[in-house]
Amino acid sequence: MRFFRKTSIDFMGKRKMWYTISLTVILLGILSLSIKGFHFGIDFLGGTEMIVQFNQPADVGRIRTLMDNSGFPRSELKAYGNPNTILIRTLLQGEGTSVADRIKAELQKTFPDQNPRVLSEQKIGPKIGSELRRNALLAVLSSLIAMSLYVAFRFKFIYGVGALVALFHDVMVTLGLVSVLDGLTPYTNFEIDQNMIAAFLTIIGLSMNDTVVIFDRIRENQKIYRSMGLMELINKSLNETLSRTIITSGTVFVITTILFFFGGEVNRGFSFALTIGITTGTYSSIYIASAIVLDYTLRKLGRVQQTVATPKPHYETANK
Amino acid sequence: MKKNRGKLIFILIFIFLALYFLYPTYRDYNFTQDLRKLTGKDSIEYLDQHEAAMRDAKSKRIKLGLDLQGGMRIVLEVNTLKLIEDLAKNKDDLFTGLMDEVKAQAKASPDEDVIDILLARFQAKQVRLSRYYGSIRDSDDDIIKRLRDETTNAVDRAKEIVRNRVDQYGVSEPSIQKQGARRIIVELPGVSNEKDVQELLNSTALLEFKLVTDPDIMIKVYDSIDKLLAGKPLNDSASAADSAKNLAAQKTDSTHAADSSLAKTSVSDKQAQEQAEKDHPFFTLANPMQGQNQGWSGDLFTAENDRHRVDRILARPDVQRLVPSEVAFVWEAKPRFTADGKKFFALHAVKKTAELTGGVIVNAKATIDPQFNTPVVDMEMNSEGSHEWARITGANVKKKIAIIMDNACYSDPVVQTKITGGRSQITGMADAEEANRLAIVLKSGALPAPVDIIQQVTVGPSLGEDSIRQGIWSAILALGLTVAFMVIYYSTGGTMADIALFLNILFVLGVLAAFKGTLTLPGIAGIILTVAVAVDANVLIYERIREESVTGKTLTAAIDAGYTRAFTAIFDANLTAFITGVILYQFGTGPVQGFALTLMIGIVASVFSAVVVSRVIIEMLIERGKHVSFG
Repeated sequence: MRFFRKTSIDFMGKRKMWYTISLTVILLGILSLSIKGFHFGIDFLGGTEMIVQFNQPADVGRIRTLMDNSGFPRSELKAYGNPNTILIRTLLQGEGTSVADRIKAELQKTFPDQNPRVLSEQKIGPKIGSELRRNALLAVLSSLIAMSLYVAFRFKFIYGVGALVALFHDVMVTLGLVSVLDGLTPYTNFEIDQNMIAAFLTIIGLSMNDTVVIFDRIRENQKIYRSMGLMELINKSLNETLSRTIITSGTVFVITTILFFFGGEVNRGFSFALTIGITTGTYSSIYIASAIVLDYTLRKLGRVQQTVATPKPHYETANK
Repeated sequence: MKKNRGKLIFILIFIFLALYFLYPTYRDYNFTQDLRKLTGKDSIEYLDQHEAAMRDAKSKRIKLGLDLQGGMRIVLEVNTLKLIEDLAKNKDDLFTGLMDEVKAQAKASPDEDVIDILLARFQAKQVRLSRYYGSIRDSDDDIIKRLRDETTNAVDRAKEIVRNRVDQYGVSEPSIQKQGARRIIVELPGVSNEKDVQELLNSTALLEFKLVTDPDIMIKVYDSIDKLLAGKPLNDSASAADSAKNLAAQKTDSTHAADSSLAKTSVSDKQAQEQAEKDHPFFTLANPMQGQNQGWSGDLFTAENDRHRVDRILARPDVQRLVPSEVAFVWEAKPRFTADGKKFFALHAVKKTAELTGGVIVNAKATIDPQFNTPVVDMEMNSEGSHEWARITGANVKKKIAIIMDNACYSDPVVQTKITGGRSQITGMADAEEANRLAIVLKSGALPAPVDIIQQVTVGPSLGEDSIRQGIWSAILALGLTVAFMVIYYSTGGTMADIALFLNILFVLGVLAAFKGTLTLPGIAGIILTVAVAVDANVLIYERIREESVTGKTLTAAIDAGYTRAFTAIFDANLTAFITGVILYQFGTGPVQGFALTLMIGIVASVFSAVVVSRVIIEMLIERGKHVSFG
């Protein structure tokens, strides 16, 4: 069974259009981030967070009033899975777990018949929060750099650059979409916490996966079809790997979607980011990474063309 | 062919190893299920029979992370600042001022190394460190190096002490690890009693035996404080003891009056009370409460709400001048209650330097005193301590010795005779649990420096169970869909890939068990992702095979070419994903590390199973003459 018979889509032809689309999406993301800011989780901010379950659907309004009156203004309340369970978070720091104890005592006093049970509780000091933030940033940056260096090493330098741009694109688009959708529906409460960082690193890894497969094919074809123009060559490579790319990405997409719906609250933000990420990852490998390689090479050749008398035998200049 | 037979044996060995390492997990699961069905006597018999085997299985099984098991995770940080402060000698005002600066800066920039701050502050004031640390000849650098060594040493000792305490508390499979220069991460699966654990970990456990100061001396001191606060001249003719007695009598009288006739709170009583407060401001707050027939105990009693006021008074420089230099004050650990339920704390005056410290305690046991039915902790000392103890008790018969733990006095018994056996007892604990905790911390030793809890995560067990269920369901669903897809799209080749996929998961779990890694909820997500990666490798190979067969090669040749050509792509692609896993493991904590771990293991396993396992199976099928189709 086949989904794709021999295809010959001209991917590189319309690359200017795709550049524009990508840039727009990224700009929208940046806009959303600058308006909404980063919605950090407790991991990075520090504070106290607890998940409380009641016997009946939680009355969010009353709980919020209670929190405000007990000295916890600006606390965050979120539905957590089912209507009976609620996530309470406050940035307030106190000695040991005094904050958590106070909240528990207040809840017990106000809703005695509802039997509030604490399912989980977290307290994070500010020192750890800032450390985790720094580590997360370092992790993302170092993986971006490590990936690109590896590619530049295994292929040619420009491929490393192309890969880096593609990865950066993926991170920005995913970050932007997460920011835009955060808070829009009760099911899409996303925050930047350790799990989200793990998701981003995975996206980087998987996107790299795609990109490398395509680059590998380009490299192989260059050895075989020595006289083909670069644009034609890249198009050919893309078409040849299309079947594999779609199937793999499709499989991961289905899997992460399953994880999003059935994998539990903890994994929700993580799987959402992955779902978006795998889509942009595929897209960026096809359109961004290869396009950048093409454009850079063409421009370099164009300059070479002007300085060298005879054209190099390996490539023809593109006329489009 | 021959080479395939070799590979096949290799694969079978791996399968066997994986099953071997996973077996304990299976056994443990069975034991738990069986135990759940039994109750009462049957369950005890079952435990007796199988105890050794159960413990063995439990120690070798796959560990579940806290988010799947429920439990507590606590990050402790050793307060090196206090340690450095305590290590200094000849502390004077200059030192105190400098330390205040250091403390302020440490609070403002928590990331900076405390020792660096110390050096900077001292150098800014051009004070040599050797003035307070080490000997005159030591350079600043030498001292800094020694301070750092002390700090590291202290953290290591703290870690051992914490481990001791946790072990004695009786947690199964606790995990205690050092992180960085000053942190200790404690993970306690299955534990949810936060208060208990906090106190267990937090208490410095400094035990001191201090002589209680003679009441005759103290009454004069207290009286002069009282006069100072009242603004009276200090050498008032009225005898100090008498005025204290009078005040105590007055207080008991007025309490009696209030008790017996609640209705008529006579105005004169109230006026008398107000006058007493003005005349004796200190004694009103810290009452000697002298009984009518007994001599004065030497202690003062303060209502709970007034404690901090008394502390403030005692900290005033003009008051301190009235207190003899070798006297220190310590509050009693537990409050006492009056007839009408008011809480009072006793204040003891003790000799500042301890006669003996907890370092000499070798054993401590919590029991119930048969006479009074109260919890007590019996302590045993080493030989050196026993000698000292004998000397101290011998020299102070009929005097009181206060037993002080973390600067709170638990009891101040009167020495009846010289004690030569090196035994002592602490009383005054609230309940048996507290006695138990005290015994544990005494046995494990005092922490070299105080520790702060900077992070605490508690996961209740029900959340853990939910998470396990959700994780497993989504894994099964994802796996099912993938398996179905592979068969439909790649027909026989797809089935082979599916077999390899199952083996893949088996390998991942086996490696996890073999290296005693921990499975977390993101870890399960990692396994699911591995399924995706494994699919990718297979897809690469099969698409390649399809391409090669289209060019007219024979099936064997196409398969050969497919595997060979696809390998470079598989290798490069998966290596980059693996690097991501390494970075994630390095920078992440807890559950995220679990994810990184399963991802890395999964990538290696899936490359292996795609490149080696499925190929072996396919080639063997072809040998047998079966036609393998790739859709």
